[in-house]
Amino acid sequence: MSTVRSKAVVLWTVVVLNLILLAAPTVIILGASVTTGNIIAFPPEGFSLKWYGKVFASVVLREAFVRSLWVSIVCTVIAVPAGTLAALALARYRVRFAKLLQLYLLLPFTVPLIGAGMGMLMLFGELGILGELWPVGLACCVINLPFMIWAVLASANALDTDLENAAANCGAAPLQAFVTVTLPAVAPGIITGALLMFVLAFNEFLVSLLLTDANTVTLPVSIYNSIRNVITPDLAAVSVVYILVATLAIALLDRWVGLEIFLKSK
Amino acid sequence: MGASVMLEALEGIRATLWPRAFKRFTGAMLLLPAVALVLVLVAGLAWMGDASLHLLDTETFETGADYTAANYRQMGGQATYWIVLGRSILGAAIVTLVTLVLAFPYAYVMVRTGSAWTRKILLVSLFLPFFIGQVVRAYGWLIILGKEGLLNSLFGILGLGPFKMIYNYPSVLFGLVQYLLPFAVLLIAPAVTAIDEEIELASESLGAHWLRTFRHVTLPMAKPGLVAAALVVFTLALTDYAMPVILGGGTNDFIANAVYDAFFRISDSGLGSAVAIVLVLIATLLAAVILTVLGSGTLGFSAERR
Repeated sequence: MSTVRSKAVVLWTVVVLNLILLAAPTVIILGASVTTGNIIAFPPEGFSLKWYGKVFASVVLREAFVRSLWVSIVCTVIAVPAGTLAALALARYRVRFAKLLQLYLLLPFTVPLIGAGMGMLMLFGELGILGELWPVGLACCVINLPFMIWAVLASANALDTDLENAAANCGAAPLQAFVTVTLPAVAPGIITGALLMFVLAFNEFLVSLLLTDANTVTLPVSIYNSIRNVITPDLAAVSVVYILVATLAIALLDRWVGLEIFLKSK
Repeated sequence: MGASVMLEALEGIRATLWPRAFKRFTGAMLLLPAVALVLVLVAGLAWMGDASLHLLDTETFETGADYTAANYRQMGGQATYWIVLGRSILGAAIVTLVTLVLAFPYAYVMVRTGSAWTRKILLVSLFLPFFIGQVVRAYGWLIILGKEGLLNSLFGILGLGPFKMIYNYPSVLFGLVQYLLPFAVLLIAPAVTAIDEEIELASESLGAHWLRTFRHVTLPMAKPGLVAAALVVFTLALTDYAMPVILGGGTNDFIANAVYDAFFRISDSGLGSAVAIVLVLIATLLAAVILTVLGSGTLGFSAERR
């Protein structure tokens, strides 16, 4: 029995350490955002929502928030069809040079973000589209696209080909079979991918930093620009926006597909 | 009814635009949008590669017409770049080791626990920071570790400190470990799921201590996940920009920071491009070597055709 217990003790010690490490910034930001004082200190000076009031009143932050939202929408709207079709092609069709294409589609993961970002900055500059917001969404889509493909591919691999064949044999036209059989079957993958793409674009810092200017600054860049030596609680209040968005995304993901999908072996 | 009429109309359009005779090209056609998107990245890299081969006149800001390796020579001749490179590689190696040691037990407990609630809590704790983003997390650490931060005000009460816990190398590595933990756990977990628990039980019932079982059964069988996690964590740590700049405060730059500075501080896009291209080559080569030698693990787009 003692060996079983020692195993549990060791494993759980590491797990608890992990939990503290993972949760600490979130918990502290939540706490700091409701302090009365002008600086964050221990012990806390009292409870107040005044920093949230200041944040809501700030035009700069509101605009940055709306821009980030727009970037995420552009990113998701491009990624969902492109990633879904690519995943279905990889799972369902015989494609020439399939291995090579897979490696090519993994490039956004293997190319460091600073390289991808600077390259796109130069390219967009040459094309004269710098200073607009949609290229930032496009760039976020490009760098995270493998997530979308990977999510749909996981669902597509679980789908029984016989179902599609049955639909075709029963006289379903290709588009009809696609809409009534294939799409519903890979829906969990599409939802997972879409949520990932949205949240990752909403968070994207480096590529946003490179591709935005003073007029198109997004929320993560705006927070970064405001980080000063003296730590004030108003930034903590803005950061809570991220905690809320993350919580919402996780709740939706868990409700629609279940978080356990990420534990499945391939 | 309306939907089926619409579907029929769409079917008609499809049949005109994409007759059945084209069927063998359908796969390629479906891949086209994704291929085009990645092409944006490839085109940007090509552009940067070209820029790295021209010398920028820093007086007139005009790019020279001749192809030259001068930017690469300049980079190689500057000790700063070698120091930054060494610091990044060493840092990424330490971060990878620490992250894997922390992540494996987490993934193991998360998969093996009998309680659905425990699993849910561990999953949510993982996704929350993953979805919150790097800047906000780094900011959280500034609040905790900063000079006038929480820990130091706590130490102050005890009459200790203040201690310098940010703007140094360990703080950058610490931030990177926390940032990369969710990636590592999510890549290891599917590999642990794939291990039949009965094999572990068999080993233990034959009298092996659990540590031996772990060492000789569980870890080797989880190798695909560990390889994928190590590769992703190492690459992301090696090429990170945010943690060195926010938690390092410019005192412990990594390669990405050097690229940024070459572009925006020295305004030498030729030199910046050269440094970025070298980083891209290192990361790509590393991925290629690891994936060829050890297999793609849980990382690749595994398409199981039946």
